[in-house]
Amino acid sequence: MADTEDIIEGSDDEGEPMKASEVLQKLEEAWITERMSPTLEKHHSEYVDCMLDQINQMSENLKRCKKHDFRVAIHKMEIDRIRYMISSYLRLRLEKIEKFTHYLLEKERTISDENLAILSENELEYAKGYASSIESHFQTMVLQHVPENLRNFDPGKMGVKPNLDSFVFLKVKESTPAVLIEDDSGEGRDEEVDLDEGSQHLIRYRPISHLLNSEAVTLI
Amino acid sequence: MDSAEVEFLAEKSPITIVPNFAQEKLYLISGDVGPFNPGLPVEVPLWLGINLRQRGKCRIVPPDWMDPEKLTEKKDEESQSKNFTKMPCEHYLVVAQLVLTAATEDIPNSQQIKTLIKDIWDLRVAKLRSSVAEFIQSEGTRAKLDHLTLLEINSVRPFLPHSLDHLYRFSKTAFNSNLSQSQTQDYS
Repeated sequence: MADTEDIIEGSDDEGEPMKASEVLQKLEEAWITERMSPTLEKHHSEYVDCMLDQINQMSENLKRCKKHDFRVAIHKMEIDRIRYMISSYLRLRLEKIEKFTHYLLEKERTISDENLAILSENELEYAKGYASSIESHFQTMVLQHVPENLRNFDPGKMGVKPNLDSFVFLKVKESTPAVLIEDDSGEGRDEEVDLDEGSQHLIRYRPISHLLNSEAVTLI
Repeated sequence: MDSAEVEFLAEKSPITIVPNFAQEKLYLISGDVGPFNPGLPVEVPLWLGINLRQRGKCRIVPPDWMDPEKLTEKKDEESQSKNFTKMPCEHYLVVAQLVLTAATEDIPNSQQIKTLIKDIWDLRVAKLRSSVAEFIQSEGTRAKLDHLTLLEINSVRPFLPHSLDHLYRFSKTAFNSNLSQSQTQDYS
């Protein structure tokens, strides 16, 4: 629990504190982006923790209300909606962590700045645990029964990597002029695109992935 | 994305209701609503409006655009324009569907509205399909999709992004194999 509190305090330190409704809005965007992104996005556990806190607080308050109070049903309904969003968000992330375990662990190793970490602390622990369970499973089921020269196990070769060249739909939140869209297919068709606020595009993921981190665009 | 998720997102849009009960302001996490006074219109999120309507606690006021005259105008504009026109509501089909199902009696000319909205949807989806075909044939690498609503985008998902992924993969592989061929020729 100590961890969660730290994170919430940490996010409060940066700039003005956000209203709960703004955090909810941010979480919703993070959820949809995660839903549509081919790879795992930067974690937003600060939003999740903040919303869980809000929900718990609200549930406590509701306990003190009378059973048939008109307001209780409405608040409960809202809590259910938020809870659905949070669990869908976290589940999506776990699904991706299980799919791209090795790739994500490798990537996480190269990131030194804590603010850019893709996996949250708990997710990192989960990913490591998952990777070692899979490996020991392979060991006991197959590898120890095959000739010694075949026993090498390289997760780097086995792992699934996300396709960063897949196409995504996005909506622009902050106008970003001259985004370079490189054409790796080698037909020399590199081009620059102006992303105007409010416009929607269908575009390859790789050239715009950095804009997702700076929250200039969201996926839809 | 599932259609259910699109509906979930649409349920956040505001709707005006006329309550038949009195209640102080509600401090929801997503923002405050109310106060509710019998007979006085108040704006609430759609999910709340629909729920109150189902419990017989209010009457729903149809949004401005949910009007046969305006929708006919919109339909004409849509059929005359080559591009997609801006819709009066980001989730017009979902909102119309939810409101018209939960509160048919509150909406005048509901049958007519239903038909018009369906017509507009058909027009737009037909337009979308033909522009998708055009886009694939032109071998474009990106597209601008202004004024398309989420449900419409969802209707071409996953097949459009997915086929583009494949086309991209083909052209990349073709280029790389050309490159390695020309390199081997250089060495020989």
